[in-house]
Amino acid sequence: MFAAQLALNALALGSAYALVAIGFVLVLNATTAVNFAHGESVVAGGFAAVAIAGLLPAGIPGIVLLPGVLVVTALLGLIIAGVAYLPIRSRPPVSVFVTTIAFGIIVTNGLNAVFGAAPRTAPALVGSGAVEFLGVTVSLQSLAIIATAALLIGALAFVLQRTQLGRQFRACSQDPEMARALGIRLVRITLLGFALGTAFAGAAGLLLAHQFFVSPSDGGILILKAYIAVVIGGWGSLRGASVGALLIAVFEVGVASVSSQPVAEAMLYIAVLLVLFVRPEGVFGEPQRVRA
Amino acid sequence: MLPGLRRIGLATAIITAGLSLVTTAAADSLRIPVLVPITGFLSLEGTSQKNGAELALDGSDVAFDVADTATSPEVAVNAFERAMNAKDVVSVVAPMLGTQMLALIPLADEFDVPMITVSGTARITELGSPNVFRFFPGDVVVKAAHARYAVEELGAKKPAIISQTTAYGQSGRAELDRNLRALGQPPVFTEGLEVSVKDMLPVLSKVRDSGADVLLLHLHSGPTALVIRQARAMGLDIPIVAGSAMHQPETAALLESAELLGGCAESGWSPISETGPEFRAFADAYRKSFNREPDAFALGQYDGVNMVLAAIRGGARDAAGVRSWLESNRYDGLAMTYASDGKGNMAHSAVILCYIGADRVPQIVKRYRNVTGVL
Amino acid sequence: MTGMHLGRDRVTLIAGGVALAVYATLFASSYDQRILTLSGVYVIMVLGYQFIFGHSGALSLAQGAFFGVGAYVTGIVGSQFGTGFLITFPLSIALATLLAAIVAAPVLRLASHYFALATLALNQLLLVIAVNWESVTGGANGIPGVPPVILFDWQVGRGLPLLVFVWALAAAAMLIAHWQLRPSRVSSFTVMRETPLAAPAFGIEPGLLRFRAFLFSAAFGGAAGALFVHTNRVVSPETLGFGIMVTCLTMTVVGGRFRIAGAVIGALLLTHLPEWFRGLDEYYLVAVGFLLLAMVVFAPNGLAPLFLRAGEPSRLSKTIAGDIEPPAKSTAGLVIEGLSKRYGGVRALDGASLQVEPGEIVGLIGPNGAGKTTLANLVTGIERGDAGHVERASANLSVLSATAIARSGIARTFQTSQLPDELTVRQVVSTAAVNLGSTAPADKVVNGALALCKLSDDADTHCGTLPHGVRRRVEIARAIAGDPGVLVLDEPAAGLADEEQRQVADICRALAHAGTAILLIDHNLEFLRTSVTRLACMDAGRIIMEGPFDTVLADPAVRAAYFGMADQ
Repeated sequence: MFAAQLALNALALGSAYALVAIGFVLVLNATTAVNFAHGESVVAGGFAAVAIAGLLPAGIPGIVLLPGVLVVTALLGLIIAGVAYLPIRSRPPVSVFVTTIAFGIIVTNGLNAVFGAAPRTAPALVGSGAVEFLGVTVSLQSLAIIATAALLIGALAFVLQRTQLGRQFRACSQDPEMARALGIRLVRITLLGFALGTAFAGAAGLLLAHQFFVSPSDGGILILKAYIAVVIGGWGSLRGASVGALLIAVFEVGVASVSSQPVAEAMLYIAVLLVLFVRPEGVFGEPQRVRA
Repeated sequence: MLPGLRRIGLATAIITAGLSLVTTAAADSLRIPVLVPITGFLSLEGTSQKNGAELALDGSDVAFDVADTATSPEVAVNAFERAMNAKDVVSVVAPMLGTQMLALIPLADEFDVPMITVSGTARITELGSPNVFRFFPGDVVVKAAHARYAVEELGAKKPAIISQTTAYGQSGRAELDRNLRALGQPPVFTEGLEVSVKDMLPVLSKVRDSGADVLLLHLHSGPTALVIRQARAMGLDIPIVAGSAMHQPETAALLESAELLGGCAESGWSPISETGPEFRAFADAYRKSFNREPDAFALGQYDGVNMVLAAIRGGARDAAGVRSWLESNRYDGLAMTYASDGKGNMAHSAVILCYIGADRVPQIVKRYRNVTGVL
Repeated sequence: MTGMHLGRDRVTLIAGGVALAVYATLFASSYDQRILTLSGVYVIMVLGYQFIFGHSGALSLAQGAFFGVGAYVTGIVGSQFGTGFLITFPLSIALATLLAAIVAAPVLRLASHYFALATLALNQLLLVIAVNWESVTGGANGIPGVPPVILFDWQVGRGLPLLVFVWALAAAAMLIAHWQLRPSRVSSFTVMRETPLAAPAFGIEPGLLRFRAFLFSAAFGGAAGALFVHTNRVVSPETLGFGIMVTCLTMTVVGGRFRIAGAVIGALLLTHLPEWFRGLDEYYLVAVGFLLLAMVVFAPNGLAPLFLRAGEPSRLSKTIAGDIEPPAKSTAGLVIEGLSKRYGGVRALDGASLQVEPGEIVGLIGPNGAGKTTLANLVTGIERGDAGHVERASANLSVLSATAIARSGIARTFQTSQLPDELTVRQVVSTAAVNLGSTAPADKVVNGALALCKLSDDADTHCGTLPHGVRRRVEIARAIAGDPGVLVLDEPAAGLADEEQRQVADICRALAHAGTAILLIDHNLEFLRTSVTRLACMDAGRIIMEGPFDTVLADPAVRAAYFGMADQ
């Protein structure tokens, strides 16, 4: 029974991390740019939820805030694209590392100055109670996190597979040169990638902010987790990113429950090294083929 | 050749002038720089420190400015050296973070200036520096109260400890462990957690499996609230006595009243729990200035700076004068009476607070006065 | 032109150095001196990082790990055993370097972000250990009481003495970096970074080069970490934190990834930046963020190139007029015996055999996917075959690395252009000449190759700006710079105009005349007719026919395979 409880918690945490990681990959696929401000986008989503909730009557369910949070963070994504990516998109990719790091510094310290350093909590998605299910106590929040994440990921899959825009997006991520030749406007796809990717981060911020709180300095650890998830899953793979995120949650919840938190953390890093040793291209990554 | 030399000269002048912009001007009045973390993961506590110091210094004729120490020893030392650029520094408000204090102590000794802090880290008063003055009961005091309350009042036979793997957490855990052993009830379970840990179910399940009858926390604000919430949610109904982070109004604000109910915490004191008129005045002034609720760190820093001001009123005109005044005088602060134990520990009492009523204000259920017998 | 820029750069550098010295000794307060001292420490760290991140182009996130190891070694040994600087400093460098050497084998073979993650995991693992192994590391509090630097009987005091000491070491680090990064090696790094696939074919061993860069980055990182704890007098987990790594990365990008001056500018600027804005209270880091953003947007290649205009100075770039010497030949042909190669279920090569004699030009035709490029890759060691072998002068080449094969005198060009944009034609060719260990003086060989390929006028043009036709000739010039006995040309005439094709054909004939054995892969029959002495045709991984040009083309099997495909 208790194992089921742990599994559910790991799944909930993993779902939220998966949104973060998927958002990171969306930016990556649209631009090949590594967005180091992505962790701060999660935090910004959490604070957007806190701020919007403050304007609404108390006791409002958090799920109502989702559209607002998505809009705010999508706008943030457009700003990141406009300020930290587009001006230097033809320059060495490493310069984007630093512009996004700088953007992250601005967001973190801006939030710290405006909201203060205290951790804050956003409203629960549907309610803070728990339901008994087959002898397992299931927190409503955990269920709501999993459901919301599944919904968002499903919607993304639909957009990418079934819509014209989604097909253009995928074409760009596979072969930008060809896409340009076909008349797809790359800047539009870039903006879409940043808006969508950052909105996913923002949604994760909302999902995490009730149960696990949000404070301005949380961004660093979140980008670290997203980066691990994305690389271990296979650079650029949406499916790999989700699996990587779940793997991290399994270590944080599962492995920690049978050892200790520091041991679980160390084992995660050892596992990462071992996976790379066995599969140098990540779990779902494509082996590079020599073509001279 | 000549144009080259001239260019070198010109460039030299420009670069030198640019770099020299950093140098700050000195003022005439006595000065107490406030060096606290106002960015990074400890900025909640650091801002309380800053506010407490500011409240004491506002209206005095002592000059002060605030400099951020962030979270690393490196930045703390930078801020300290910068502050020492000014003349007439009579003491320094120094950061909460133990690691930063450890880096600042040799410098304070070299500059010969006393540091006023609320850092709890036991180590900082054990290095033999005459320049550390701690206006918050150190871990030696609060953890003694923490352990005694658990064992003597709650009858703990199998206490469990969850602490943080930060400087604050590790120092407190060591003292808790030592005190519990001294009381004959060694902990049955101990685990350290990263600050970023989200799901507390794994550690709480191990606490439950250990058969613990009291859970002692020594965590920062967010994790404290997380543990309490998840413990309640999973039906772990053993008493929980948290560290001083629990008493901070910001921590209580994270929890619903039902989750708070019955929870206890150690602290040096709790300004919002006290009912005396002078506490009310302090709390009101604090709210008015900073639009926040005061916490123990703010009060400790307030009292500490006020003691330095008392030293100045008592005739101390320089750092050495302030130091010897602090070393040899008792001071009746708002929270308690302060006096040095010879190592710079100024506060010797602690309280246990519990959330009893429906409001978010904890009540003082037990006072441990003069724990180390200095007064 | 280059000379003028160099002179100007020297003025800028000297002025900067003098200004720094004047400021540090005459104007700086003890606080200013402290910030400058820290800058010096970071200069050393960033110089190291430039090796792996800049020159090697590998996103290492382990620079903080090496820094932390250096810091903890000095911190623990210095404070616990009272050991002096003269022992702890070399020990810090040695252990950081040792760590790099140990992890290099599994980690350095990883590509781009997989390498980054592996190095990150290493750093985080060390951080977890540092925080939790309290009895040794002091846990999160760290260890206070790290002794100051003491040399023999002289204690290097805080303030100016420490500042001078740290910058003296930083200067030494700059000299080491300068000595290591001589122009030819910088060019080799560029070739490896920009065209990793082609690098081994020109005598560059990417593995060795990257390994060396990784060790240097670790050694410099360890040295910086050791000095850092002497500067702060306490060692704590922050030295292993991600923050230090981010700082180092930022300094490197802001200053410039390749220039020594870039390390100095980046370190100086990033340590001073927060200090300049302190007046803004809790908003000061927001201001730092904005400025950082602006700097990178306006100078994406770093600030150093704004001050220093010269390109990579190159001793080899001095033109020696009229001193042309055609490459000398070591004569031995190429023997290919039964080469096979599978990719999954696809048989790319299926027992291909072929010989090329000295002085002979053998054309190789065949439909797309027949295995021509795979054959070239196997001959030059870029890929390994499953069966069969390649011999030259009765030495078996199949067991050698691509670099060793190249050095033994087998050169090639690539189907898709493999020229680094930022190098000049001369740099590309001389890099190959130096790395392939040509016996004649490099300048003469280079000039000879350039003259033969009619590139003397383009010698100082950057490859990125060359038209396609010229690029193809640059590739041939590079291939012959190592004085090869065998030359494999993979579609050298593809996409060329008639006149350009004739030039390539002329070059081939001249080389063959001098005794080179040439394997010429192409589709263009007109081009081949004027070039080759013999023709071979491949299909489905085998040589199906070889002989005189017209005989091969008349063969029914060849017509079926080749023209059958071409007609579709």
